[in-house]
Parts: sequence; structure tokens; C-alpha cells
Amino acid sequence: MMLRILACAILLFSATVLSQNVATLRKQAALDQEVTTEPIANEITNDLKVSRNYPMQPPIIPHNIRDYQIDLNVNTCLACHSRRKVTNTQATMVSVTHYMDRDGNFLAAVSPRRYFCTQCHVSQTDAAPLVGNSFVDVKELMAVSKNENE
Amino acid sequence: MSLDRRQFMKASAVTAAASAAGMSLPGQATNLYTDSADTQLNWNKAPCRFCGTGCSINVATRDNMVVATHGDFKSPVNRGLNCVKGYFLSKIMYGEDRLTQPLLRMSNGQFDKNGEFTPVSWDTAFDVMADKFKQALKNKGPTSVGMFGSGQWTVMEGYAAVKLMKAGFRSNNIDPNARHCMASAVAGFMRTFGIDEPMGCYDDMEAADAFVLWGSNMAEMHPILWTRITDRRLSASHVKVAVLSTFEHRSFDLADIPIVFTPHTDLAILNFIANYIIQNDKVNQDFVSKHTRFVRGNTDIGYGLRDDDPLEQAAKNNADAGGFEDIDFAEFARFVSTYTVEYASELSGVPQERLIQLAELYADPNTKVMSLWTMGFNQHTRGVWCNNMVYNIHLLTGKIAEPGNSPFSLTGQPSACGTAREVGTFSHRLPADMVVANPKHRQIAEEIWKLPEGTIEAKPGFHAVMQNRMLKDGVLNAYWVQCNNNMQAAANMNQEGLPGYRNPKNFIVVSDAYPTVTAQAADLILPAAMWVEKEGAYGNAERRTQTWYQQVTPPGEAKSDCWQIMEFSKRFTMEEVWPDELLQKAPQYRGKTLYQVLFENGQVNQFGLDQINQSLPNDDAKHFGFYIQKGLFEEYATFGRGHGHDLAPYENYHSARGLRWPVVNGQETLWRYKVGSDPYAKSESGEGWDFYGKPDGRALIFALPYEPPAESPDETYDMWLVTGRVLEHWHSGSMTQRVPELYKAMPDALVYMHPDDAKNRGLRRGDEVSIQSRRGAMRTRVETRGRNRMPVGVVFVPWFDASRLINKVTLDATDPISKQTDFKKCAVKIEKV
Amino acid sequence: MKDYLARIWRAIRKPSTHYSLGFLTLGGFIAGVIFWGGFNTALEVTNTEEFCISCHEMENNVYEELKSTIHYTNRSGVRATCPDCHVPHKWTDKIARKMQASKEVYGKIFGSINTREKFLEKRLELAQHEWARLKANDSLECRNCHDFAYMDFTVQGKRAARFHSTFVASGERTCIDCHKGIAHNLPDMAGVEGWN
Repeated sequence: MMLRILACAILLFSATVLSQNVATLRKQAALDQEVTTEPIANEITNDLKVSRNYPMQPPIIPHNIRDYQIDLNVNTCLACHSRRKVTNTQATMVSVTHYMDRDGNFLAAVSPRRYFCTQCHVSQTDAAPLVGNSFVDVKELMAVSKNENE
Repeated sequence: MSLDRRQFMKASAVTAAASAAGMSLPGQATNLYTDSADTQLNWNKAPCRFCGTGCSINVATRDNMVVATHGDFKSPVNRGLNCVKGYFLSKIMYGEDRLTQPLLRMSNGQFDKNGEFTPVSWDTAFDVMADKFKQALKNKGPTSVGMFGSGQWTVMEGYAAVKLMKAGFRSNNIDPNARHCMASAVAGFMRTFGIDEPMGCYDDMEAADAFVLWGSNMAEMHPILWTRITDRRLSASHVKVAVLSTFEHRSFDLADIPIVFTPHTDLAILNFIANYIIQNDKVNQDFVSKHTRFVRGNTDIGYGLRDDDPLEQAAKNNADAGGFEDIDFAEFARFVSTYTVEYASELSGVPQERLIQLAELYADPNTKVMSLWTMGFNQHTRGVWCNNMVYNIHLLTGKIAEPGNSPFSLTGQPSACGTAREVGTFSHRLPADMVVANPKHRQIAEEIWKLPEGTIEAKPGFHAVMQNRMLKDGVLNAYWVQCNNNMQAAANMNQEGLPGYRNPKNFIVVSDAYPTVTAQAADLILPAAMWVEKEGAYGNAERRTQTWYQQVTPPGEAKSDCWQIMEFSKRFTMEEVWPDELLQKAPQYRGKTLYQVLFENGQVNQFGLDQINQSLPNDDAKHFGFYIQKGLFEEYATFGRGHGHDLAPYENYHSARGLRWPVVNGQETLWRYKVGSDPYAKSESGEGWDFYGKPDGRALIFALPYEPPAESPDETYDMWLVTGRVLEHWHSGSMTQRVPELYKAMPDALVYMHPDDAKNRGLRRGDEVSIQSRRGAMRTRVETRGRNRMPVGVVFVPWFDASRLINKVTLDATDPISKQTDFKKCAVKIEKV
Repeated sequence: MKDYLARIWRAIRKPSTHYSLGFLTLGGFIAGVIFWGGFNTALEVTNTEEFCISCHEMENNVYEELKSTIHYTNRSGVRATCPDCHVPHKWTDKIARKMQASKEVYGKIFGSINTREKFLEKRLELAQHEWARLKANDSLECRNCHDFAYMDFTVQGKRAARFHSTFVASGERTCIDCHKGIAHNLPDMAGVEGWN
């Protein structure tokens, strides 16, 4: 009996805490509270391509990019991903859009404006998102509308 | 077919159930849709929701949902490109914790400051809120109510808010979060040129021979502008890039002249360059004699701390921080002559030859230089000085306001320029660069707003940092925060922000799309519509105004900030907000509501619903019965037209990819102050420059010294702490942390430190540490590698992380002129937990 | 002077009259050990990281760059020090390398890379020396730790396993062909084979 009251009290208390501490990204911690931090998340390096949310999304990097140098001297990404390297490396060739200048003309090589790969392409860690995202892939919408029409 | 989210969920459940039951749904194409009706998307444009670059985005919607986004090829800003944040805009509205109902802290069915957040109706929310505002107005008058707004407000929202506060409540206590971001740039522009905003534009990036980054990590913070600089640097081998910072970051990857300097010594480097130009006879005498004037600014101006702080007590000129007196060129030359290369090098720790290389970029008359800066300059207790001093260099050499010669202040927020600055949502400002302290300006505003003389208060209100202090002191009691996350963003949270919001005397309202740290500190949370869930306009860093249509409807009962402001104004009668003396001057307003006076004034409500885009939703217009966005925009535009801030007719912006003001006779202006390219710049010869923001047409060159920072490392607190942003997250992470790809790319705010600093403290990568200052502590993990290379003695912590609040540690010292906080310098110690 | 040298020469030629053969043999041996040991100890002192980074040219440039890399800090704490990669382990090769190092002493004395700018200007040339050496010895210093015979491809990344099991196995490629810049920043690679 005692135990049950205690359990109820704890439940009640945690409910209070929950509804005061609404900042989802703080995992229910009060604002003056410091929470124990998660260890640094590891990079996902399984080399598996991940489908894109829509065709124009830059693909994420599925491998380790620690110490990859992209600077005035050299772009180590292009050492595998440039047009003439992919036979050997079997890496994905950079998209044709990367050969276009500001005015949409195709150049003989990758456009300098696309030089810094990591402005658009990021690798992923194994950190579990704190909040879900209900973005819907257009293909699912198409399937639904097709069914509804029939 | 139109499908809302709930219907969609239902329909997809049917599909799932059907396939689970083994039923075959008839005749589906397998992997290629051949019916064009099926693959059609509805594309519209919108400016990006994130930084001040102002990229244009193509947004695809279907069934009332955003399904894809990409860079707009037609936009001269980004020409089809986006950064990683921009590419994931499609997902920012779909975090599963979107706020869909007002939430009020309640106990036993009543408002209770210490109660639990409980869903209430908009009616109840506004009832309680109006009650609190009325109480404050009645008890203590207009100075006890306030509003904290945003550089993410649309132009119309900011404008409506200014009207509500300054005309309606007659309180100047409205300030935007741009105070943390741009205020020093604003004050710099006003002091040197007399008009806010850059004279140049992004086209300078294709014309310059050299780029100097003064405390700006453009590679991460303005990635698309960085692509333009990268394009220029790598396409033309003579082009040089100099990058200055207190630590090495990604922008150094493109640096020909990398410069890591001791925090705060940029002041000395700036004066050294001026001195170098003079000593080497590289002053453009013709330009200087015709277009400039030399002045000496007040020194020893304090650090914008509370009045009782010893530093403020010791400062001589904090009462007149912005004051200055005339001097001549010879005196200026004498003033900067002590800033020799030896002295600058000794103070900054930068090798002499590197400083000379940098100075030479400016001194060489054949090198067109673009200087760029963001928070490194602006978040600085001498930020206004930094801005003035970089203009000094450009003015001494005449390298200004022509293609490629361009001192260019970049902005952080999408409409820091368009809304916060141009609309004048600051505590001392009115639209179009006018200020409340100037009786003529007040008169102009009162005439446009059809208000009796004396409506607008002459005394500037509380600025951002002061608002938190006044909340804590119980002076400011009814407070509305819209479209920003200031509890997370403002410095010294433990000692000022949090006690202020939780002070039992105060009622705090926070409007946001998501339950942020600031929302958690509030008493009432209002659910906001965001981005393409409403129609709006933003203004970017190159004076480009861009509009967008509402393209989807917001979830649940979420409403735009504009709707909230205008609806709230219906709750007040004029008798409740204005004293009788004022109403005697405008008896026609007796018995009316604030809404009627401010928004049904024959101007804001003059455009009918027939003018809205009929193929898209415009919930706000339909709710109020007129085209509110156009009405607000057009009334606002009357402030600037004919006064150097001309905006085009509203509808023009819906087809153009933005236009750079002043737009005169349909033509945008690329370079201001240059006769020939700026319709406002005039000279007898028909060429040259005209700094028409100043009465004599001359820009000011300021003699200003190096002065030490407010707090430096000592034996106990032995390291410099620098805070800042990262590529993947913007606006405190409130949107980007809810996009899984962005979250997983950069999940937590780590402390970046030099491996030797870690080793000397018995730390290694991944160790949990406590970062402590005299004000508070924060826990995080050590990072000794990654994208930043720290010098010994300096650590960097980004502030996007809601669960690791570095602003518990930072110091709320501000620039005494601009009142902008210095988030880049304070002293900390780091200990293993 | 001439007389003095002649006297010494005579003393060396003359059989000993004071010391026994046994003493001389043993003494010579001990002296040899001491001399040899001293030489080797001195040699080994020059073969430590502390010695390498006692020059600021090394400490501020290449060593600073090493600190963020996997050869400095990694999962198992097995780390490479400068000589592990840059000095051959076999004695004869080591001596040969040390003799070459006299040129580096010259460079140190005359300050040929005593500023960051000078170092960056020379970086390509310096790197090319190391690449050529490693290419010529089939990446010997890499292989001192990373022995191909004991690599477990199943626990390598897919890309790594593919390259190692084909190109390295066949001898077509050696470590340095793909792993340039693994411990220090790369110079401007324009014109370097395989990087165009």
C-alpha cells in the first residue's frame, strides 16, 4: 500500500515536471539544471548509400571523412569522386550540376563554386534524433492520391 | 485533390492495411509514374528561412505539404545552390513537437506562474494576456510592457509589432534579437555614413581582387556567399584571401593570408593598417580631401555592464560613449602612428610579415578589396569602433562604393536588415533610419500613422540586454517574445535572463513554432505559423527585399505572428492605452479599439481580397478580410520612398527574385553613394562620391584606440571562451535540430580545444567537462580535433544546443554604443566531471 | 707541429711497454663498447620525437598537424612518433638516412624553413622526398606496423577492404600511393601523379 502511494506520488511528480519542462530538446530537464551529457556520437561509416528525401537533396556521406583535406592545395574528395577516378574507385561521380558555372554553362571540370564539398554534403553520426520528423516522401503522397482517385 | 495531414495519415493507413491483408490495389505502375498528373508538383519561390545571405528557394508542395526544396536557378544570389541547411528546408516545419495550441501555466483551472503548461483556447490565452498587459499599463504605465522581436520576423510582422508597441501601447520597449547580431554594424554605419546598410552588394564578390574576413567564418555561416568567393579565388589566380580570427576554422581552408590573433587585438591591427597606409604614402588624397572628415571618438567608454559594476564605475565616458570631436588629417596620422607593425605584432601575436601582407592588400591602389565581417566584429565590446575603423581604411584609400571595393557587413538572420533594421524594431528607432529621440522623425511617423502629436515617446526604450535586466529587477512586467529563442541566445542566462522570466512580478508570453528553451521559461506559449505557412517578405544583407506566398496551411491552431499581433490589438480600447490628454487631440478615436486605429486606418486595410493570389491560401488575409500583407508593406514603404530607402510596389516582388533598395523608377541600386550608380548621389561634376547620409556629404574617419576587453583570462579562469555557430544549425537549432539529417551531422555542442590544453588538464577527447565562469557552469564533452583548430588558451563552444546552454557561462558585457553583447570573449576554467 | 705529429705516430706504432696484451685487448674492447654504445645512444636520442620537435620548424608545422590525425590519437593508443615513419628501422638504412640528415642540420642552421611561409613554400619538395623514399622501399615504414599478411579485411571498411585485397595484394600499389597526407597536410597537389 505504502509502495503504491509512493509510486503514485512519484508519477504525479514526474507528470508535473513533464508539463513544466516542455523544451523537447532538453529531455525534460529544468532550465537551471545541468544534465549528464551523452558520449560523442560516432560517425556512420558503413558505406551504404541512403535514399534521398527528394531528388534535389545532396546525398549524405556514408563514410569516414576524418582529416579529409579540402583547401587551397587539394580536394581529397575529388581524388575518388571526380569523373575520371570512379572507374578505379567505384565511388559515385559528382553530379553533372557540379560542372555548371553561375550562369548554367557546363565547364570542362568541376566548377570552383562547388569546391568545398562539405558545405552541402555531411556525414552522419549514430546519434538518435531527439524529436521525430513527420516529413512525408512525395512518393507516398502519390500512392495515396492514386488510391483515392481509383 | 487536397489532403490535409490527418487525412493523409488515414489514407496511408488504409493503403498499409490493404497491403497487409494481401489485397492487391488495382493497376499501379511499379517504378515509373507515366501519368503526368501524378508527378506534378506545385512550385513556388521563397527566400531561405535561415541566414542573411537571402538565397532564393524553389519550394514544391503537394497536398498541402512541402515535399521538396532546392536552390533557385533564377536567383542572382545563389544561382541554384543551397547549403546543407537550405537543402533540408523541406523538413523544418515537420518536427513532431510542433506547437498546435496555446499553452498556459495553470493550476486548478487558473493561471499560475508555477503551474503546468495546459492547452487553452486562443480566447482564453488572449484574455489572460490582455489582462496582464492592462494591469501593467494601469499600474506602472507604458515602460512596464515590452516586446522582444526578431530578425526572422517578416517585414510586415515587424512593422505591425512596432506600431502596436510604439503607437498603440506608447512603449519604446521593443527590441529585436538583431541587437545581439547587428547592432554594432548599425551604429558603425550611422556614425560613419549617417545611413544604415552596406553601400555595396554581392556583385562585389565577382569584382574584387582581395577578400579580407574580419571575424567571419563564412565557410560555415554564409556558405553560399563563400561559394562566390571560392569561385572568384580559384578562377583568378591573382586573387588573395585573408582570414582573421581568434582560432582556425573552415574559412582558413581558402586563406592565402591566415591570421590568428589574440582576442580583442583586431583594434590594434586595424589602426596599424591605417598607419601603414599613411606611412607608405598610399592615402588617396583627392578622395580624402573631398569626401571625408576626421574626428576623434570618446574613449574609456565602459563595457555596458550594470551601473554598479566596478568596470562601469571606473569608466570616464560611459555616459557619452558615442561622442566625438573634430580633428584634422595630421592629428589622425599622429594618433595612429603609435600602431607600428612591431606594436601590432606584439599585441596580436601575429608575425610582422603577415600583418604587412594584409596591410598591403589595402595599400596597393591596384587591388580592389572587399572586407567582410559578422560576429567577430559586431559581438565585441568595441564593435562599433571596429566597424568605424574598417571604414577608415577603405576611406583613406578611397576604396569604397564601386565594384570590388567594398566594406561589407554580413548579417546573421534572414531579415535582420529587412525587418529589424529597416522597419526599425529597435528600442530607439522608427522606420527608415529614423529615431524616436528626434522630434521631426516622431512627427513624420505620427503623420503617416494618423496619430495625434505626442503619441510616440521621445525616450528610447530598453534594449535587449537591458530588457532582461529590467525583467529581473521587476521594472518590466508584461513581456512578449516572438520568433526568437532569447533564453538560449542571451548572455549570462543564470544571473539575468532566467531570474527575469521567472520573476513572480512578470508575465512572459512566447510565440514560437516549437517548444524552445525560451518557451519553457514562459508563462504563456502561443503556437506560431512559420515560413511558407504565411505570406511575408524578408530583406537580406545586400538590401534585397524578397517576398513569398503562403503555400501550405499551418498545423492545428498555429497562427502567424502578424495574426497574433493584430488579433491581440482588438483586445484594447483606446481609453485603456492612451491617456485622456492624447485622446482629446484625436476625439475620433474614442471608443475605438487599438486594432481599428492601427490597422483599420484606411491604409493598412485598403487592398481587398481580390488582390491576393487566388490559387494559394492566404489564411491571414481571409481572416481579417483584406490583403493585410500588402497593406502593411505599402504603408511601411511610404516611410522610405523619396528618402533613400525606396521600395518597389509590393506586387513587383512576387515576380522578381528580390530587388535592392533604393528602387527608383523601377531600377534597383547596386552601389550607393557613387554618383551615376545611386540616384540619390549628386555632384556638380556628375561623378565621384556623395555620402548624402551626412549633412556635408562627407563620411567620417574616426581616431579610436585599442582598449582592453572587459574580462581576460587570469590564474583561476585561465582560458578564453569564444561562442558561435556551426554550418548545420541556425537560429539556436530550434528548427535545424529537428531535421534528422542535420541533427545527426552535428548533434551536440562540444568544447573545441587544443590537444595540449586538454593534455595539460588531464583531459582527452570525449571527456565530460564542466566549463565554468564567474557566472555559471555548463557541461559538455571535449573535442580536440574536427573542423576547428584552436590555439592554446582558447576554447570554442557553439550555442545551438538546447541541452548544453553555454550562455549560462558567458558575460553580458556589451558595446556601450551599440548595446550589443560580446559573445566572443570571457574567461573560463575547464574541469573534468 | 710536424715533430709533434711524428711523435704521436711513433707512439702508436711502438709496441706497448707498460701494459699487458690482455689489458690492452680488454681495455680496447670496453672502450669500443663504450664508444659504440655512446654512438648508438646518441643516435637513438636523435631518433626520438622529443629530439625532432626540439626544432620549432618541426614542432610548429608538421607535429602540430599530426596532432589531430589518427596516427596521433586513436582507439588503441598505439601511436606513431616521427621516426616510426621517417627513419628506417634497419641499422644500415638508418645510418644512411642519418647521413642524409646532415643536410637537414645545414637547413636548420641557415634557416631554410624557419618561418611558416618558407616551410609552406618547400612543403611540396619535402613531401616529394618522403613519397619517393616510401615508394622506392614499398612503404617499408608503413609496413613495419601495418603488415599486409595480418590484415583482416572482414573488419575493414568495404572500400578499404576492396582496395587492399586487390591493388595492394597484387603489388600494383603500395601504401603511399593512396595514403599521402595521412599524417600531415598535403601541399598543392597539382602535377602530382594521380591527383590531376
